[in-house]
Amino acid sequence: MIELDNVRKVYGDGTVAVDDVSLEVPEGETVTLVGPSGCGKTTTMTMVNRLTEITEGDVRIDGESIQDTDVIDLRRNIGYVIQEIGLFEHMTIAENISIVPDLRGWDEERKQERVEELLELIQLPQDVKTQYPANLSGGQRQRVGVARAMAAEPDIILMDEPFGALDPITRDELQDEFLDIQQKLDTTIMFVTHDIDEALKMGDRVAVLRDGELVQYDAPKDLLGSPKNEFVANFIGEDRVLKQLSAVTVREVMNAPQVGEGAGENPLSPDDSLKVALQRIFQQGDPLPVVEDGEVVGQVSEADIQAVTDRRTSEVLQ
Amino acid sequence: MSWAAALALLDVPLSSVFTGWIDYIGANWDQFLTLLRGHLVMVGIGELLAILIAVPAGILATRDPRLARIIENLGAVAQTIPALGVIALTFTFLGLGKRPTILAITIYALFPILKNTVAGIQNVEEADVRAGRGMGMTNVQRLRRIELPLALPVIFAGIRTSTVLCVGVAYIGVFVGAGGLGTWIQAGLTTVNYDVMLAGAIPGALTVIAFDRGFSVLEGMVTPEGVSRDTTEGGAAA
Repeated sequence: MIELDNVRKVYGDGTVAVDDVSLEVPEGETVTLVGPSGCGKTTTMTMVNRLTEITEGDVRIDGESIQDTDVIDLRRNIGYVIQEIGLFEHMTIAENISIVPDLRGWDEERKQERVEELLELIQLPQDVKTQYPANLSGGQRQRVGVARAMAAEPDIILMDEPFGALDPITRDELQDEFLDIQQKLDTTIMFVTHDIDEALKMGDRVAVLRDGELVQYDAPKDLLGSPKNEFVANFIGEDRVLKQLSAVTVREVMNAPQVGEGAGENPLSPDDSLKVALQRIFQQGDPLPVVEDGEVVGQVSEADIQAVTDRRTSEVLQ
Repeated sequence: MSWAAALALLDVPLSSVFTGWIDYIGANWDQFLTLLRGHLVMVGIGELLAILIAVPAGILATRDPRLARIIENLGAVAQTIPALGVIALTFTFLGLGKRPTILAITIYALFPILKNTVAGIQNVEEADVRAGRGMGMTNVQRLRRIELPLALPVIFAGIRTSTVLCVGVAYIGVFVGAGGLGTWIQAGLTTVNYDVMLAGAIPGALTVIAFDRGFSVLEGMVTPEGVSRDTTEGGAAA
């Protein structure tokens, strides 16, 4: 668990980059930090590995202040991914991935095994091991960047706009792959992005920052359902209701199935989003059965979906 | 042919240009070897000293911007002192012979190496440095594993430039009795003998070409695999 406790960062010229931010990242969760440029999101994140030194306040990892840990040890125990990727072009892919294990003194065999394991995880062929970053595509390089951060099995990974430099399609692909990977691990992740859609997609919780202050810190669906103020609502965008539909699953709104109802031809799964449900309802009719493991577990209607967005919208804009 | 006309204006007999100097070297082979060896020894020692001073100084300069200004200015000033001036100023306590000449060579060679060391390290991507820090590399590890390997081709280009310069500087050693190929140039000048003059000058020119080519190959060898070989930015230091 990472705890930021009233942290402040004031630069020498008096600029306040981060002002009194407190937030907790629970063990194994992903928190995305999002906001317009200059909002202090990267500064806030890099306080955790002390690339930014805190002016006031404290950061604790599993209860222990990072000020009490040797800074080199601290960083070797925290994975770090940057937007520019920062792969070392004079090192092979295998060498790049095994930098932190190497710094921590793993033997050759263990490093090799780990490299092979990670290449499999990020779905790159084993023969890239001996290649150089220049031989890889942008998407492949960023996969390697992620693998490098995971190499020494850190409990925490910091990601600074990791997919920001990629084209939209590759970006989407990597986001999905990373979500998959993340489910297999239980790493605590801080993820900086300026893209609200990415923040909502990747984060278990989203921290919205503005001018160095934490404006709202909530789970994606709560952020969508009840933005705290106009700034957050505007930042989320006019398609807030649609985004909200993407963030809520059928399981959360479905009703008990009517007795004797069949599964139909193309039933919904409880893990489908309301956006998928709404589309099916428009195509196939209302209501639709929800099927899990071959059994009808519920049903969902257009009115159920409408109720979610109505309730949430009215909560916000009182 | 214009170059022939130019030579005629300079009153250089064509026979000197084509065969005279070769004949002279052939007839004085042992002396030639002694002079050439003396020349190369001075260049070699002077250059080596310059590398030993300039590379660490360049690394130091990249650690602190204030230090960088001081070091780079010193390097630049060093190159503006005429080599002959260095010899004239120092032979009183270094004595006559090779030592003041080597000092002049070293001072002259410093700047290109210094400049390229600084440029080479500064050219390393900011992101690479940040990634290294973020992953928990110490300053020394970052220098040794990232900055120096990536800067090496550029540093080498500086060494190449300065070596080429120093082959020329070594010629003036003759004024303090240091020997070297300058000996024949001076002898040729005093007796107005073009064969002798060219026998001193042309081997120096060929040495420069050989060094330039040789270093170019070495540069290719120190360029890490995976890095596209492009030293043009820092390579044109002098």
